[in-house]
This record gives sequence, C-alpha cells and structure tokens, in this order.
Amino acid sequence: MNLSEDQILTLAPDESSKKSGKDLANPAKWVSKGVNEEALWGECQGSGSKPYQTQIDIVNIAFKCSCPSRKFPCKHGLGLLLLYARQKNIFTAHELPAWVKDWLSKRTEKQDKQAEKKDKPVDEAAQAKRQQARQSKVSDGIEELIVWVKDIIRNGIMNMPEKGPAFFENMARRMVDAQAPGLAGMIRTLGETNFYTEGWPTQFMDQLLRIYLVMEGYKNSPALNEPLQQDIRTWIGFTQNQEELKEQKGITDTWLVISKQSIEEDAITTERTWLYGTQTNRYALLLQFIVRGQGIQHNLTPGMFVQAELVFFPSASPLRAIIKRQLSTSAVYQFNKFENWEQVAETESQLNSQLPFRSERPFIIEQLKPVLYNKQWWLQDTANRLMQLKNEYKSIWKLLSLSGGNPSDMAVIGKEDQYEPVGIWQQDEYKTL
Amino acid sequence: MQFWDNIVNTAMIGTDKKQVSAAELPADLAEPVTVIYNNDQADKEQKFLQLAAVAFNFRQTGVTALQKEVSISPAPDEEKAYCSIVAAQTLKDILSEESIPLLKFWLQHCDRKQQVIIPETLPALLGIGTQNKNLQVLIASCCGKRGEWLSGFNEAWNFSSTQTGEELWQTGTPDQRKIIFKETRKINPTLAREWLQQTWPQEDANTKTGFLELLPENISEEDIAFLDSLSTEKSKKVKEEAIRLLKQIPGSAIVKQYQELLQQCVMIKKEKTLLGMVSKTSLQFKLPPSFDETIFKTGIEKLSSSKEISDEEFIIYQLIQSAPPSFWQNQLERDPETVIDLFQKDTAGKKMIPALVSAITRFRDTSWAQHFMQHSETFYIDIIPLLQVQQQEAYSNKFFDKYPDNIIQYATQRETEWSVELSKNIFKHTAKNPYQYNRSFYNQHIHLIPGSAIAELEKCTPAEENLRNTWSNTSDYIIKLITLKIQTLKAFNS
Repeated sequence: MNLSEDQILTLAPDESSKKSGKDLANPAKWVSKGVNEEALWGECQGSGSKPYQTQIDIVNIAFKCSCPSRKFPCKHGLGLLLLYARQKNIFTAHELPAWVKDWLSKRTEKQDKQAEKKDKPVDEAAQAKRQQARQSKVSDGIEELIVWVKDIIRNGIMNMPEKGPAFFENMARRMVDAQAPGLAGMIRTLGETNFYTEGWPTQFMDQLLRIYLVMEGYKNSPALNEPLQQDIRTWIGFTQNQEELKEQKGITDTWLVISKQSIEEDAITTERTWLYGTQTNRYALLLQFIVRGQGIQHNLTPGMFVQAELVFFPSASPLRAIIKRQLSTSAVYQFNKFENWEQVAETESQLNSQLPFRSERPFIIEQLKPVLYNKQWWLQDTANRLMQLKNEYKSIWKLLSLSGGNPSDMAVIGKEDQYEPVGIWQQDEYKTL
Repeated sequence: MQFWDNIVNTAMIGTDKKQVSAAELPADLAEPVTVIYNNDQADKEQKFLQLAAVAFNFRQTGVTALQKEVSISPAPDEEKAYCSIVAAQTLKDILSEESIPLLKFWLQHCDRKQQVIIPETLPALLGIGTQNKNLQVLIASCCGKRGEWLSGFNEAWNFSSTQTGEELWQTGTPDQRKIIFKETRKINPTLAREWLQQTWPQEDANTKTGFLELLPENISEEDIAFLDSLSTEKSKKVKEEAIRLLKQIPGSAIVKQYQELLQQCVMIKKEKTLLGMVSKTSLQFKLPPSFDETIFKTGIEKLSSSKEISDEEFIIYQLIQSAPPSFWQNQLERDPETVIDLFQKDTAGKKMIPALVSAITRFRDTSWAQHFMQHSETFYIDIIPLLQVQQQEAYSNKFFDKYPDNIIQYATQRETEWSVELSKNIFKHTAKNPYQYNRSFYNQHIHLIPGSAIAELEKCTPAEENLRNTWSNTSDYIIKLITLKIQTLKAFNS
C-alpha cells in the first residue's frame, strides 16, 4: 500500500478530521505502531487513561478504532496512515497483536455470516405479489405524470420559472406515493433547473425528455431488451438487490480510482467513485450512500490502484458497479487511453444509441491541453479539436498550473459537449484536480 | 443547432399555439419523423414529445469537437530550483492552518534559498496574494516563471509579473505603489524620495498624504529640502503632514527654531541655601518676554488643557517634544545622566519628563533611550522598542507583571524572536486572559515564538480550573504552529 498524503487526506470525512489527522501524524502521539502485509495498527495516547487502539485493514482499506468518534475514518485512523506514509521505518512491530488479530478474524467471520444469510428461504409467491402490486402502482403514477408533462408542453414552458418549487414538489410526492422514487428525484431535478441562466429552456427540456423517455420506456418494456428494461427500472426507482448481484461472476482487474465526488444532502452523503479497469479498459462507477455515524463499505482514494472483482449492475451501457472482492493493491503504468475527441464522440454516440438517457461518464484521453478561445476554456486534443470545459469548472487554475499549458494525459467526466477534467498525469503520477 | 432551437422555441410557447413541422427537423430524421406524424392515435403533445425525444437523442449523438487552430504559449522553464517535497508538504500544511505570518516565514526561507514552489500550490498562493498585499513581492518571487505565466490569465494575480520596483512604482495600483515605496524607503531612502518627487505633481492630495505617512522610515536631513518645498501646497492636510515630518528631523528649520527658543526658556539656575553654605542646581522653565510667534502656526498650542500644567509650561513642553534629546547635552552642558537627574529633581522638570520621552521616541535616539532606562525613576514603556534586543528583553521581563499588555504590544512589533523567558511570561498572561489573547493572537505572532518555547507551554497552565481547558487547546494549537515553523527551517536548511 503506497498512498500519498493527499490521497490519504481525501479519505477524511471533513476538513476538521484532516487537520486533526495531521496533528496525530506525529510519532510522539503513538505508544505503539506496527505493520505487516495485512494490517497497520497503533495505539494512540488520547485524553483517556487507556490509549486508543487504531487498526487498518490495508488489503481492503478498512478502519477500526476504539475511540468514541462517530466520524469515519476517525482522526486516529487518518493520523496513523499519514504517519506511515511519512515515516515507514518507525513501524517496527510486525507481529499482529491480539486485538488486531481479533478484528481481522471477525471481519472474515462477518463475511461468512453474510453468505449464510443469503441461504434463508424466500417466500417467492408473496414476493411476486408485492412486485405486481408495486408495478401497478407505478403504472398508475406514470399515467398521472404523463398528463402533467403534456400539460406543461401544451401551455408552453415559458412560464415555468414562475411556478415555484411547490409545483414540482407536489408531483414528486405523487411519484413517491406511486412507489417510483427515481421518477420523483427526476422531477425534483427538473424543478431545480437554474432558471436564471441563459440556456435554461434547453436544460429544462433535456430533463423533461429524460422523464418522458423513462415513462414511455416503462410502458413499452416488453418490447425492449433485458438490460434496457433494467435501466428503465433503475431510473423509475426499483432497487437491485446487491447481495444477489454479488453472487454473480464479476470482472477482476486492477482498477485506477479516477475521481471521488461527495455530495451531502439531508444528512446522507452520496459518494461517487469513478474507476478505470486498466486491463479490461472498462469504466465503472461505485455509489456509496453514507448515513452519518455509520461505517462505509469501501475507502478508495483517487490515484490509488485497487485490484478487485467488480460486478456491474445490468444495463444497456453498464457503468454502475459494486465491489465483490478486493485484493491487494499495486500500481499499473500502461493502459489504453482515448486518442482524441473524435474517439470519445464515437463512443458517446454508440453508448447513446444503446441508452438515450444516460448520466455522465469518465474518459481517459491522451495529450489534452487547456486553451482559451472566445473567452472560454477548452480542451484541445492532438488533432487541434476543441471540447468545452463544463460551466463554472472550479479547478481551471490548478489544471493550468499543473499543465503549464502543455499537453497531458487527462481523466475527464462529462457527456455530449461539455467535460470536466478530474485528474492529470504528470511524469506517470496521477494528480487529482 | 437550428433544429434544437426550433424544438425549444415550440416548447416555450406551447403546442397549443405552435407545432414543429418536419421541415424544421434534420433530414436525417425524416423516417422516424414521418412515423410519428402518421400516428393517428397520438395527440399533438405526444407527437411533440416524441419528436423532441428523437431530436434530443440526435443532438447528443452528433457531437463533433470544434476544429480550431488556437493555442496558448506554454509556461517558460523555471530558472530557479523547485523546493523539496518536505518543504512543499509543509507549505500545504501552513496553508491549511491559514496562518499568514507562518506563510511569510516559509516564503522568506524559500526566497532566500532561491527556490520556487511546486505548480500545484500556485493558485492557492496567488489567491492569498490578492488578499495580503504585503506578501505579493515574496509570492511573486516564490511562484517563479510558472506563476508569472499563470497570472497572465487572471487579472487579479497580475502582481505576480516580475516588474522592476521602478516600473511598479510608475504603473502599479495604489496599493502596489505604497508597498514598493515602503520597501524602497527601507533599503534606499533617497531613491524612494526621488521617485516621489518625480511623480509628485501628478498625485492627488490624498495620495500625497498617504506617501508622506510612509516617509518617517529612515527620515533624514536629505529630506528637508523636499519637505520644505511643500509649504506652498494647496492641501492643508499635506502641509500639516510635511510639518509633522520636519519636526522629526534634527536639522530642519522648524526644529532649529524650537531649539533657539528653548535655549532662552530652559536654563540652569544655581541657588544658595542654608545661609549660603550649600549650593543647589535646579532648572528654570520660563518663556522670554517676547519671541517669534510664528511657532504657533506650526502646531504649537497656546493653551494648556491640564490644570497641573500652566499655559507657559505647556508651550515649553511642546517645544521639548520636538527637540532632539542631544540638544540638552549642549544646552545644559551636562551628560545625559545628569540632565535626566536634573529634570527628575525639579518640580517643573518632572512635568516635562514625558515630553523628553516623547522626543526620544520621535527622534529614535537609542543612546538616550538607554540612559533614560538606566537612570529614570519611572519606567517608560514607550522607550522599549528603542533599546537593543537584549535590553528590550530584560526590561520587558522585569516590568512584565506591571505592564503586561503594553509589553505584549511592543513584543508583537518586534522582528526578532522572543526569548524563552519572555515567551513564558506571555504564555502565562495570555493563558489567564483567553478572550483577549485567543488562538488568532498566536496565529498572528507565531513567527516570534522560538521553537524551544514548546517546553514551557505546559508549565504555564493556569491554576483556575475554568481556564485550563482553553489553555490546553491553545497550547496544542501553538505546538502545531511551532512544529510547522521548525519543519520549515528543517526543510530549507537540510
């Protein structure tokens, strides 16, 4: 495990944890510290009489600490990792203490128990009945939503900015009642259109048409292929049983963590981690929903390489995945990249023909450089083709200062005609933006 | 994309008023468009939504990147070496602590070593430069060629361009001009004054006053001619400021005028007491029956506002304030020690001592400051900054308990690190006054605290239970900042 300080700090749940973690990256704070191929551990003298026992599973990057903090990872976990990154040689103990051994074996036991749980018999008849009832509710909801959408179109969207949030929220609630939370979310997004920007009608229409396509797609499900049906079900809000998914065979590869984005809303943090499979040349998105105080399933940090088996959610254009198994980590330097924007556009067109209402995707592209044209920043490929940077792209100065105006391999996330750089390679080192 | 605009325009006004015609959509979509139009079961809204969905999909799949021959010139290579990884990491930690003095400390070391920061940190540092103008020159130097290149794209960062001092003086913003003037005045006071004289006719009254306020730095007889020439200025403020400055120069006409008058006012008087057996020497403070009244046009007030000082004494008091202390050695033909003694023993002289102290600080007479400290019965804290560092330390520690806040105030103005003892005194006092001296106080003055003071922090824990916790947090914070300071030193000296 070779994480840089910046990579470790991106694991921190908030700014204050970063600061506290840094303070604890001090050998004087640790009564004991050790490392072997499985774990990293240490005892940190806190305010109490007994030192806190901090342990990190370095194969699957998981933390545990005896401190009372609800943050995850806590400052001790971060501090220990930072200390290890700074001064590996002072981790002189290599034999697992009993408390670390216990934890590691409990983790294995837990995984076994989860496997046992899956063996419980399921009342299939009752399940089918519930499914049918839900489908009928969703269909009714969709009929109601179609009428609402048509009304908007008949009267014109010109007066939408004056409608106010209640207009959208009421319909979103109707969709929650109809057990279509996905549609409810799409309607909320529609209501959140920025009506103060010049291009709001396009933004509004794009979202309205996505809703329309999902609704019509659901109505015409029987005529569609299985993966596309799954996509539509996902957008409507049907959940996929992740345990069932994990039983399927996944794709094992060394994945590069391209980017991690967190959004906190209503005390739930949604973490989107974008991965790139260095051998399979596939991109993946891991979604993690973290309720404050609860543990998280995986701790990945941009720039890190993870050898793992990933299972993709069924889709016409598979992207979202879950980690089935995580193995040791090691760096990879040779992998495929898109050569230019034309290749990206071709891939986009192809993916779009399979799934016309997609979210953004990542791409790793060779030798892009930032250029200024018409008072806006663009990314220029080796064929002198320009693609515009996403509106209000915040890291433009960091991108410029790192690249110095020279072409660099870059990881971007976006779709259609706007992309956001999330990382850049500098002398074989991946730097997040 | 005209076809998409057609869709959006129709959506804006609604299908009740307008429909999209096949001609408004791309010819490539003719087939699905015909199918949609011919669907009798669909109403006009449904048809529009279907057409729009097809157009939406067509738009998304047909993206081609813009072909343009545009380029930006890449950043030139650095002429200086990059700072070490350890130094770069320390800088990141300092930035996250938001301690500007510590940042200045880091930048000074980086600049001295003729090194530049790694590109990643440039935007953060240039951003700080826009808010902290006094750091701009250092930041520009440490940001190197890439910083200069980067600031070419952001007007707010244009301070980073490596203009010479004179160019900056002539073309910079008012703030930049003030900074460069102040700095030049420190190193080359004549040059700074010459710059000011060159642009003087073009400056407005406020700017003129602003620059005059910076002149006390290294003020000397060389400045007299310029300041004298300002007596014809239109602005009253400028004229007053010029007089104020002239009063700080021993050779100026105004100071000479005061001295001449003082020669007639203050004299040694020998009296015989005890039937002529003992001779007593005292001072006499008395204005001559007539004198040049133009002094009242130079800021000397006629009336005293204190009952304890008569109007006559008050006029003399003001004159003493503007006479260089060395004047008394000639006037009274005594050494400083005896002069101080004479003033202290005389009833009227005692009243004049604060004026004497004021003159010592005004003319920055370090030799008199030392004499005063050694022979004065009372401790005059205003003299502290004029003493040598060791003496400042000694007096600050000696009188700390009596004047803690004033001593801290002077200590924070120092440019050299405090001693461990002074740090300890300050820790103890601040630990008991956590609201007045909070973390921000230490954030601002951490550059003055020596690394070895860490050991003293715990010993300064206040006895009061309620203050202990705050002090514990503050001392943790101080340790963190001092550690960063030590790391900076190590990073640049290893």
